[in-house]
Amino acid sequence: MESYSFDVVIVGGGPAGLACGIKLAEKGVNTLLIERGRFCGSKNLFGGVVYTSSIKEIVPEFPEVSQSPVERPVTEEGYIFFSTKGVVKFFHTKSDSQEAFTALRARFDAFLSEYALKKGLLIAPKTKVVDIILENFKVSGVIVDRPRSFKDLRPAEVKAKIVILAEGVNRLLTEKAGLVKGPFKPEEVVLAIKEVLQLPKGELEKRFGLNEKKGLAAELIGEITSGLPGTGFLYTNTNTLSFGIGIFLNTLVNSNLKPYEILERAKAHPYLHELLDGAEILEYGAHLIPEWGLQGLPKLYGNGVMVVGDAAGLVNPLFREGTNLAIYSGIMAAETALEALEKGDFSEKTLKSYEERFKESYIYKDLLLFKNLKKFLLNNRQIFETYPNLIYEIFSLYFSAQGQYKKEVVREIIRTIKRKRGLFGVLKDIINLGRLFW
Amino acid sequence: MKKSVNIDEKIGATKFFVDEEYAHLKIKSPEVCHNCLSKPCLNFCPAGVYRFSDNKLVVSYQACLECGSCRVGCPFMNIHWDYPRGGFGVSYKFG
Ligand SMILES: Cc1cc2nc3c(=O)[nH]c(=O)nc-3n(C[C@H](O)[C@H](O)[C@H](O)COP(=O)(O)OP(=O)(O)OC[C@H]3O[C@@H](n4cnc5c(N)ncnc54)[C@H](O)[C@@H]3O)c2cc1C
Ligand code: SF4
Ligand code: SF4
Repeated sequence: MESYSFDVVIVGGGPAGLACGIKLAEKGVNTLLIERGRFCGSKNLFGGVVYTSSIKEIVPEFPEVSQSPVERPVTEEGYIFFSTKGVVKFFHTKSDSQEAFTALRARFDAFLSEYALKKGLLIAPKTKVVDIILENFKVSGVIVDRPRSFKDLRPAEVKAKIVILAEGVNRLLTEKAGLVKGPFKPEEVVLAIKEVLQLPKGELEKRFGLNEKKGLAAELIGEITSGLPGTGFLYTNTNTLSFGIGIFLNTLVNSNLKPYEILERAKAHPYLHELLDGAEILEYGAHLIPEWGLQGLPKLYGNGVMVVGDAAGLVNPLFREGTNLAIYSGIMAAETALEALEKGDFSEKTLKSYEERFKESYIYKDLLLFKNLKKFLLNNRQIFETYPNLIYEIFSLYFSAQGQYKKEVVREIIRTIKRKRGLFGVLKDIINLGRLFW
Repeated sequence: MKKSVNIDEKIGATKFFVDEEYAHLKIKSPEVCHNCLSKPCLNFCPAGVYRFSDNKLVVSYQACLECGSCRVGCPFMNIHWDYPRGGFGVSYKFG
């Protein structure tokens, strides 16, 4: 094969690219998905909690599938506030155990890619797209790091009517296509590191009070990030734990702290120390989370090109949305591509309908709603420093109030708030938080 | 209470297919590193890829987790950043 040509080429085999590929393959569109990893999922890492409803959009029979990527249903989820002295936990038990589940990307993405292959999608793994081909102001294909043939060692070209960029957070090709100006800034991303941990046999169920139908997903706030703006997570898988922290990259760069030292410090906290005692590290990894929001949103389409998923920055960390948004955007791009193929027009004019679909979706409305959140979090460090400690102290006073005149206890609580943040400060924080949404 | 953490041990748990022929991370100008006072890359890189020894910045690209932090975290944009070639680099079993 000297030259390759497809209707659609998708760059990246994460949930965005695979969702898009499944939808196109189902309609019989001649589509190639290119993935640089050895298999889909091998380069990816997340928390991760996935919402069943989003998977059903591409795999309707889910979760009744063979080789299911489900680790555990999420039956209990909540927040743990870490003070230096102890923790306060807020947990909610879910009534519907099918709604959300924990997963690991190397298995989850591989599951989707197996499904996509069955639907007829062509997937080229171990292949990196190094550039896009621009002809007459139109993206008309990609260049890969494979030779054209045994004799011709120049990088191969793959032509396409439409190129869909599902390349994830490090959106090098989106930059090359001119859809966004230059790289993102350190304050626009969170650096997350994660460990997959294995407890001694039987301990996972024992320490977390689980059986095979139960699973836990906890977000961790406070001392866990040494007070830096960010959070931690602790999720239960079938036989392992996913544990990690995420911190805004700019604060890491400025603080000169090593992320893995912060992680180790977190593990040494008495609460986690007891939970994780004896755990073996099966894997350690790192990944960025795009938090540029609408401010940093690339142009979502151009002549012959569309951008989906993390490459566009479609995440909502507060609600653990990313995978689902990647899937939805992949589907919207697929619908747009089908429309364009029918029309036989791949120019901006036709592909603009992808942006229109996006703007009508809740993804856009949510991004709009949360557009000032990142700035708020970066400018209000007390959320990560002062409040977790404050919450802990308030509850300590409350739970040790027995045998005391309760008015004194309330006074002591108010004194503590005054000391830590000031009544006015708390009021201001509440108003500012409210202002974000109204 | 700074405890030093052995990052090599953590990295050792993760699977890599090292490309011995292509270093995907390159320092554009050693001069710039020399004049860079805070050298944040020595700290923020989650894989400890950047180290300073013999008055020189050493880049162990073999341990890179391809997160992309150093592409934008180096205050002087002094790192030429690329992904490893297709099929090489980190390869998660769990993720
Ligand atoms: C620590 C962490 C925790 C998270 N937790 C959650 C969670 O609990 N729930 C949730 O829903 N979301 C979570 N997310 C977010 C979620 O993982 C992402 O939003 C989602 O994976 C985005 O999917 P994507 O397909 O757009 O990108 P990716 O999954 O990043 O996929 C991009 C793919 O493109 C490939 N690629 C890139 N460049 C090239 C190239 N040049 N050539 C060939 N291939 C290329 C990559 O190898 C990769 O496979 C989390 C993320 C992180 C980092
Ligand atoms: S931060 Fe950049 S300039 Fe400074 S030492 Fe590291 S690579 Fe060199
Ligand atoms: S990409 Fe990430 S892991 Fe690799 S060298 Fe840069 S900061 Fe370190």
